[in-house]
Amino acid sequence: MRFAYPDQVTSPLLELRGLRVRHHLPLDDGGHRLGAPAPDGVDLAVRPGEVVLLLGPSGCGKSTLALATNGLVPHAVAADVTGEVAAGGHDVAQTRPPLLAADVAMVFQDPDAQVVTGSVLDEVCFAPENLCLPPAEVLARAEDALRQVGLWERREDDPALLSGGGRQRLALACALAVGARLLVLDEPTANLDPDGVEQFYATLRSVTAAGERGVLLVEHDLDAAVDAADRVVVLDAAGRVATTGPVREVLADRAELLAELGVWLPTTTIAALRLRAAGVPIDPLPLTPAELTAALDAVTLPAPVVGEPDRPPPDRPPDARDAVISVDHLTLRRGGRTVLDDVSLDVARGDLLALVGANGAGKTTLAQIVAGVLRPRRRAVAGSVRVGGLDPWRADVRDLTAAVGFVFQNPEHQFVTGRVDDELAHGLRVRGVPDGEVAARVDDVLDRFGLSHLRDRHPFWLSGGQKRRLSVGTAIVCRPDVLVLDEPTYGQDRERAVELLDLLTALHDDGTTVVVVSHDMQLVAEHATRVVVLADGRVVADGSPAVVLGDDVVLAAAGLRTPPLARATRALRDPAWRAVTRLADLPAARLAEVDA
Amino acid sequence: MTGLGDLRSYNPLVKVLGPVPVMVYVVTTRDVLTPALVALGAFAVLAGMGRLRPRVLAAIAGGAVVLCAVMTFSFGLLTDPALVEGTALLATVGTFEVRSGALAVGLATAVRTVALMMLVLLGGLTTSGAELVRALTQQLHLPYRVGYAALAALRFVPRFGHELEVIRGAHRVRGVAPGRGPVVAVRRQAGYVVPLLAGGIRHAERVSLAMDARGFGAHPTRTERTAVPFGARDVVLLLSFWAGGAACVVLAATVTLA
Repeated sequence: MRFAYPDQVTSPLLELRGLRVRHHLPLDDGGHRLGAPAPDGVDLAVRPGEVVLLLGPSGCGKSTLALATNGLVPHAVAADVTGEVAAGGHDVAQTRPPLLAADVAMVFQDPDAQVVTGSVLDEVCFAPENLCLPPAEVLARAEDALRQVGLWERREDDPALLSGGGRQRLALACALAVGARLLVLDEPTANLDPDGVEQFYATLRSVTAAGERGVLLVEHDLDAAVDAADRVVVLDAAGRVATTGPVREVLADRAELLAELGVWLPTTTIAALRLRAAGVPIDPLPLTPAELTAALDAVTLPAPVVGEPDRPPPDRPPDARDAVISVDHLTLRRGGRTVLDDVSLDVARGDLLALVGANGAGKTTLAQIVAGVLRPRRRAVAGSVRVGGLDPWRADVRDLTAAVGFVFQNPEHQFVTGRVDDELAHGLRVRGVPDGEVAARVDDVLDRFGLSHLRDRHPFWLSGGQKRRLSVGTAIVCRPDVLVLDEPTYGQDRERAVELLDLLTALHDDGTTVVVVSHDMQLVAEHATRVVVLADGRVVADGSPAVVLGDDVVLAAAGLRTPPLARATRALRDPAWRAVTRLADLPAARLAEVDA
Repeated sequence: MTGLGDLRSYNPLVKVLGPVPVMVYVVTTRDVLTPALVALGAFAVLAGMGRLRPRVLAAIAGGAVVLCAVMTFSFGLLTDPALVEGTALLATVGTFEVRSGALAVGLATAVRTVALMMLVLLGGLTTSGAELVRALTQQLHLPYRVGYAALAALRFVPRFGHELEVIRGAHRVRGVAPGRGPVVAVRRQAGYVVPLLAGGIRHAERVSLAMDARGFGAHPTRTERTAVPFGARDVVLLLSFWAGGAACVVLAATVTLA
């Protein structure tokens, strides 16, 4: 059924009225029960030329809403849907999702999970072919779309050869080729390195510049998305619309409300809010680093608190005697490629080391080698690795778990039992710890990570955040000297990422050496005591966050970017403030001073 | 028409299904000469028209020889001794007697297997999965949903391999079923099943959503940018396969009679 199009130019490309979705949750007897409604009664419209940003805390139904725009909910994902959804003049409830492909195009979070064919060109042709367009038209559209995203030269390549950012731009090209005027992007940059994020948004801006298309964007990384968006719709935890309006009006003027809802704000806005609380008059609130710079230059600033006592002095020479990890001239080849190239690294006891670099720079490989997850063949490797005095490639597993714990990118990979408490007890039992002590230590960790009420559940049935906490718990229950985490914030929302990094900071304060692989530069700036930058398997920078994260040239060459706060502060006139890279460096709230 | 000598330019169905009658005949043979001629013929076609790299050709030839040797001896040992009692005794290993008749049976089995392998490689090494699916949908009217879904599933394989490697490392560092021996190994492998399946199902769901969103299954047919022709040259190739097979049979019979 086609609704009348009163006006091609201004009538909404997408219109939701009172959308309410309750997912079908399967029961053991084959039936289902209904989940809590999320989203719940949402009105939303996307007009041509508009980028609408959808925000809200975890579980508020953002992704569900995105899937409802072309009917994947409820046609492919079982759910009870009430309210109206109209896209491109179609009543979505009455239309099978494939028939809407010419009106609504989607880009999903996982670049791997949307590649269907074996070449870049075939991939872009896939949707127009499904819609039975003539071959000449398919090719013309594909060429046009690939040129727009800068991938025409790579049309013969297997999509798997593209970087993560390249594959998301390919997904964008697929959306363009099908000619849909509405693009729905569900956290398109969550898995990308900073370079990939920047490329993606640059491409998106060029695509929307003509003003014909509309975009519904679900995104956590506001530092990247704020420039691209025109309007914001914010959902609360119950899936209802909390507030809506132009980007600046909502993010700047209602920042306190958003923070209260658990919605992440741009880093620079958070920084300005803190400064305001400390008595620095900043108005209006800035949304970008450049705006923060301008706002701070306009006022008299109190002294920053850089160099807290818990922070080791910058560029402390690594003391070889105290090194808990030492990597010595490590070179590793895999499949004819040098994955690690002459890497030497000593990690001092008590460091919180961040290993950063673009996708494919060798970060994960290095972390896995240090933790003994990857045991390279002798022929493929040169150099040596020691962790807590052990050789991680030959050591007995029982000794190894006492020296180093590893937390995998996907927590499910490391679960080996059917119950949460068995999962924690497993490592201790393997080491022959007496039963009484096992029980005590398991209870301690369950309690500490807030998992006590879930102890008899199957690990696979936990929520994403709970799985992540359990995987960290299984690694630290054996009390290793070193904890290694592989992109622990990958694919997680900001709230969970912060929760996890607070946990790591607490462990670090207790004396655990932590190595974390990440490309979230602001989180690295906040928490790390040392940063090592890898590019193409080589160490290209190594030092304190203040020094490494301030070096634009090195970061850009490694596919990374300076984190937003540092970008704002280093252009400041006051030299004392140029070293501020962490929110913790900002002056504390005035109230706290009065209390003290 | 160009590329008459390039096996890749022919219709995949002819290359994959054309040799089937020859294969069926080869399975029924009991002598050595017929399958040997078929194997040599098929290899010659691969070498002349397959446009394969010399290294690949060498590997095929070497593999065939090794396979022949191994199978001749192992099948020779397994042959029922009663059947070959009258033939010459070549050697005695413990209680085993190796007789020439047994080796001959083993050799015949080995050469038949090699001949089948060569016939499969004719299509297998010169056709991509996508080409075969295109031909199946265009000529045999296989529903495209089946063919393209199968292609998408094929793309999971490398991902699964990688995922399995990671899970294996994860379970090892957690000390799951350490040690050696078949029982422990089975327990270890069993532990990989759940995480691998959980990851696989989730991935498959995501891919299927992405395919739906891109119009897969919108209409009963879809545009094929690349038409897979079935022309006179393909008929010629098909008939040549059969004629070649028949020639091998006749030649083998003539040589045997003479």
